[in-house]
Amino acid sequence: MPSDSLTPEPMPEPLAGRLAGRARTLLRQRRPEEALPLLDRLERLPGEEAGAALLRAEALLGLRRAVAAEQAADTALALLAGPAPPATPPATPPAAAAPALLLRAHARQACGRLDQAIDDAAAAVMAVPADPGAKLALGNILAERGRFDEAIFFLGAAFQARPEDPLVQLRLGHAFMLAKRHEAAAELLGHCVARHPDLPGAAALEAQNRLVAGDPPGAIALARAALARGLSEAALHSVLAHALIAEADTAGAARHLQAAARLAPENPYLAHLAAALGGEAAVVPERAADAYIRTLFDGYAPRFEASLIELGYRVPGLMRRQVERLLPAVAAGTARLGPALDLGCGTGLVGAALCDLIGEALTGVDLSRRMLDEAAAKGVYSRLEEAELGAALARPRPPQALITAADVLCYFGSLERLLAACRACLAPDGLLLFNVEAAPPGAQWQLGQNGRFRHAPDYLAAALATAGLEVVEWQEEALRREADGVVEGLLVAARVARH
Amino acid sequence: MSLAIEAGAAEALRVGVAAGSVTEADAVEAGAMAAGMAATGVTGADAAEAGALRAGVAAASVAGTGTAEAGIAGPGADGPAGRLGSRAGLSRLLPGSAQPVAGSGPATGRAADDPKAAEAPRYRAALLALARGTPEAALPLLEAAEAAGEGGGYAALNRGLALMQLGRLGEAAAALERAATALPGHPEPLFRLGTIAGLRGETGRAEALFLATLSRDPAHVTALAALAALEEAGGRHGAAAGLIARARQADPAEPELELAAARIALALGQAEAAAAGAAAVLAQRPAHAVAARLYAEALLARLPMEAALAEIAARAAADPFAAGWPLAAARLHGLAGQPAAALAELQTAELLAPDQPEILALLGGALAEVGRRQEAEPMLRAAIAARPTDAELRNRLATLYWRDGKSARMLRVLEDAVSEFGPQPALMMNRALALNAVGRQEEALASADAAVPEGGVLALVNRIAVLPYHPREGHAASLLACGRAIAAKLGGPAPLAAPRAAPLATPRPARNRDPGRRLRVGLLSGGFGRHPVGWLTIGGVENLPPEEFALYGYALKPREDMLSARFRACCAGWRDVQHAGDAEIAATIAADAIDILIDLGGYGESGRIFVLNHRPAPVQVKWVGAQFSTTGLPCVDWMLTDRWETPEGFERFYSERLLRLPDGYVCYAPPPYAPAVTPLPAASGQGVTFGCFNNLAKVTPAVLRCWARILAALPEARLELRTHVLGDAAAREALFARMAEAGLPPDRVRAAGGVPHRELLAAYGGIDIALDPFPYTGGLTACEALWMGVPVLTLVGDSFAGRHAFSHLSNIGLEGWAAFSEEDYVALAIARARDVAALAALRAGLRGKVAASPLADAPRFGRSLGQGLRRAWGEYCAKG
Repeated sequence: MPSDSLTPEPMPEPLAGRLAGRARTLLRQRRPEEALPLLDRLERLPGEEAGAALLRAEALLGLRRAVAAEQAADTALALLAGPAPPATPPATPPAAAAPALLLRAHARQACGRLDQAIDDAAAAVMAVPADPGAKLALGNILAERGRFDEAIFFLGAAFQARPEDPLVQLRLGHAFMLAKRHEAAAELLGHCVARHPDLPGAAALEAQNRLVAGDPPGAIALARAALARGLSEAALHSVLAHALIAEADTAGAARHLQAAARLAPENPYLAHLAAALGGEAAVVPERAADAYIRTLFDGYAPRFEASLIELGYRVPGLMRRQVERLLPAVAAGTARLGPALDLGCGTGLVGAALCDLIGEALTGVDLSRRMLDEAAAKGVYSRLEEAELGAALARPRPPQALITAADVLCYFGSLERLLAACRACLAPDGLLLFNVEAAPPGAQWQLGQNGRFRHAPDYLAAALATAGLEVVEWQEEALRREADGVVEGLLVAARVARH
Repeated sequence: MSLAIEAGAAEALRVGVAAGSVTEADAVEAGAMAAGMAATGVTGADAAEAGALRAGVAAASVAGTGTAEAGIAGPGADGPAGRLGSRAGLSRLLPGSAQPVAGSGPATGRAADDPKAAEAPRYRAALLALARGTPEAALPLLEAAEAAGEGGGYAALNRGLALMQLGRLGEAAAALERAATALPGHPEPLFRLGTIAGLRGETGRAEALFLATLSRDPAHVTALAALAALEEAGGRHGAAAGLIARARQADPAEPELELAAARIALALGQAEAAAAGAAAVLAQRPAHAVAARLYAEALLARLPMEAALAEIAARAAADPFAAGWPLAAARLHGLAGQPAAALAELQTAELLAPDQPEILALLGGALAEVGRRQEAEPMLRAAIAARPTDAELRNRLATLYWRDGKSARMLRVLEDAVSEFGPQPALMMNRALALNAVGRQEEALASADAAVPEGGVLALVNRIAVLPYHPREGHAASLLACGRAIAAKLGGPAPLAAPRAAPLATPRPARNRDPGRRLRVGLLSGGFGRHPVGWLTIGGVENLPPEEFALYGYALKPREDMLSARFRACCAGWRDVQHAGDAEIAATIAADAIDILIDLGGYGESGRIFVLNHRPAPVQVKWVGAQFSTTGLPCVDWMLTDRWETPEGFERFYSERLLRLPDGYVCYAPPPYAPAVTPLPAASGQGVTFGCFNNLAKVTPAVLRCWARILAALPEARLELRTHVLGDAAAREALFARMAEAGLPPDRVRAAGGVPHRELLAAYGGIDIALDPFPYTGGLTACEALWMGVPVLTLVGDSFAGRHAFSHLSNIGLEGWAAFSEEDYVALAIARARDVAALAALRAGLRGKVAASPLADAPRFGRSLGQGLRRAWGEYCAKG
């Protein structure tokens, strides 16, 4: 008879170990959404809070939920630091803090707060000076911030530590390209593509480097070779399209922009450009998609003014002179202007140009939250509204003494409805100031390859009349410089028609 | 080709059927491809729940609801099909239920109380082993005890229980019959026999046995519960509620009975009571999967999805370590079409309550569903070990092996299941696929035919999936007859009613009948990527004139590879419709105002050709993708073909009109990574090496006999076979046995398993001549051989599948490599093999010849395809 004694069951791994182990496996497998419910449990187990927060930050980052990821990384750092914060922070953070610092750096980078991201990544590099991963992260963020020399320094250090890592090669090559060191970039990226022909983005970056180095035919050859290898990615089609535009092959460019837009449906910029080139013999949009504008300017906000100033952007200054000419008493300070509306205020350049002339409320309207943040920082607007212009004009508000629309109508094709809405908001003697980019007479309006609409003068005059507006001033102006010359346009002042 | 049909898209009961082979498939993607499949896959908690009683009470329950219903509207979504699930449900009861039964008392008598036990040490030891949960140890003791007359009829009864516990139902039934004879007044043998009848789907017999049980013991709790489950499965919820109430009088504390009552309450529309009952069960048994699922469903019956999820999230936050809440959340996410979220919750539940068979079955099933088979397999195996009487789990594991291309293992699982659970249609259908895949085509068709009477339209689809491989039946006329039978069973897209109605002429959606306008062309497929459909269509799709056609892709399977990106890049619209039902997919297509819909899946795995039965587009065309024959369906207007596939006069084999393209019916896109062509191996003077890299399903006994004659005539020649199935040692042994029967010398044949695609192409470096199988000939496989410089010798049949290779050879000017009888095939192979100089010359120029031919001329094919589609559209416009 066998004895009745029971063989002891093998002790199962403790729950915390099982949860954390599986969560790590899932993160390695790039399945962050599956890790989240495990972390909900892990963080409820005593002693596991910091580890759970760290894993949560990683999972959220993987899900592109950058704000929540930053919070989780904050939590992890706070828990790691312990209950009593030291009076003066230590000069060098402990090595244990490095993973959380790097996660927070990535989260802040994804939020566009690059300077803070750089602080975190730099702290991580100090915490783990031997870790090339931290240097890679710091270098990437520095490059995005435009600090190319420093970026190349840290990416170069990562490259020395891991010379065969294709990702490091790619990042360093990218930084070389941004720093206009195209030969170094070409050498590194060529090596990278030869070793890893299917690495996502590598072939596209190699072609892009050739393009920005001023060699569109070379870029076209590289991109076509990659496509012939069977590679098909949005970035590759997009860079090929841009190179083809440079070679004046608009039809070819349209095809590849369309392919790029289809492969990256989440990117409205590509869809807009594809439509702008008339890719599908299809419907040209009546105005740019809100999503496109928001993406364009959200991505652009921090660099917006610098880039416009580089381009010799004159419109805010021209508008100030218009106000001085057309409203001399206001300009002299002897009369006060009523409420004013700045449509598409962007980072607030018009507000900044006019603020000393305008005594009353100046309301800025824009689609882009991040542009509005920049405008708010200027302190010249009494109110800022995040809205599409048509919706903003439809809101109840007092008759406006001044409406400005600087470089705004270029995002609209047909203007009748927008102008009529402006007229409805104007006070009887209020002024509407705006500019358009010029299309040839008779062309009505066109969607240009840069994604902006141009308007013909005869069409504009007719649209104003239809909207019940009459012209006060009509000037042909050079609006700004672009790569291929000066952008000609019209600067117009209008008011409610008197008859 | 092949096919997977799934019933009740979002519903738990998913019966897939599937089919056949894969001409092309073999050549591509090791593993992943697999041919069709049939899956009955309920995770665990299906119809079955009915009566998931547990240990203590002993158990019983459901017997099957029966068979596949005839006349469902479509395989995709609209109706139940082979109901294995409900039968399987019973099984979960058994493991816990096999408490030894001894002595005089009913059901729960205890071994120690049995006076006879003391006199019979073997019998006593056996009962002890049963009580310890080791039925394997008990069996030999019980056998000896029964033979010696120990224990009276109880030795046989307990032997029956032990066998049931081990899933050996056939032997169990025999032992229980002996026990019933020896113990005529005892309820238990009858109850257990009823249970087995239920597992086998013999509903009437099960009911009679349960009633007989109750006549001997009116308070037999599990018999009451089992009868209730039968009533419930039959939709008689009132009667079921009465039986459960009787059972609860006898055993008021049993949570399983409370659960049964709650489930019936939900069916009767009392959602609140159902939720309360399920919650009460969960309070006692926090990891109870069936209770959790019922709780979720009861919540959803009275709350919107968001609110129900919030309710469960709140419960989980308050009680984070109970597995029931994530299980309930998983159920809701599953119903909401969020498989990733459901999977996350199931993994949580499994970590919180490890080693629970119910949860392992659910998680294993969900992982298998999303293709994570490596993770799923051990879980399903563990679940089966814990619940050997669950046929559903066996079928699920078989499905997993199918998708992994492990047909030999799949066959073993199904043979076991059929011997235990009887020839249920879903098992027989999947068994047909497995038999076909290992090259036993005649048995495959017999197995498929066995499922037809009860298996509904799915069984016919299963039949047509194996039929084209059959050495004698795989011809055009018999395929047309099978297609017509499917059409007759299918009927129009009307509701499930009128199963035998003739196919209804569904009105075509109205479109602007301008013959010259730009057309919207929809492509419906699971093969947009590295898949035969991808390699054979991408060239045409990329080169269809964009100013004339706007393409819309309807993807039935998510794929991320270099080829899938090329498909997306040419489609103006892209919809992932994998989880949608047929009607829903059709509605999406109709809403996109598609003018011409091209089916690229047919009766194949992940094909959804019954979408076309809803008539989403005015012109509907069948092209590559299980294109082995006519579809037989009136809703398919055209078959895209060529003059070699379907010469003049072949119209009689097709229900569709024939849309012949000027060159071949496909355009081959050679993989950019294909290695260079090597010099002819036979040039070294070692004799010719023949090769066949086709799926074993295509290799029939007749093919083997022809090959034997060829090798007999060429003493130095060798043959190399290479396909996934042959990676399995048992499959290789079986093949060599079949080859021996056919007279093939084993020492001159090499059999190798699947390898990654580039290596597969490189393996043609060792082949001089490819021998094509028949009657199902090589499609993509033939193109690949030709691209690698290896000529293909084919025997031309009359079905579409019988002429694939002939079309490709003719398209490149090698029609001289086609034979029209087995005699010719053998003679031609011998003659070609003897002319090594000619072989070397042909090989040196073959890739160039293919590249310059219409077979690989994508721009030319794109124009022809455009003209063909324009013609089909023009005829539609002209009809007015």
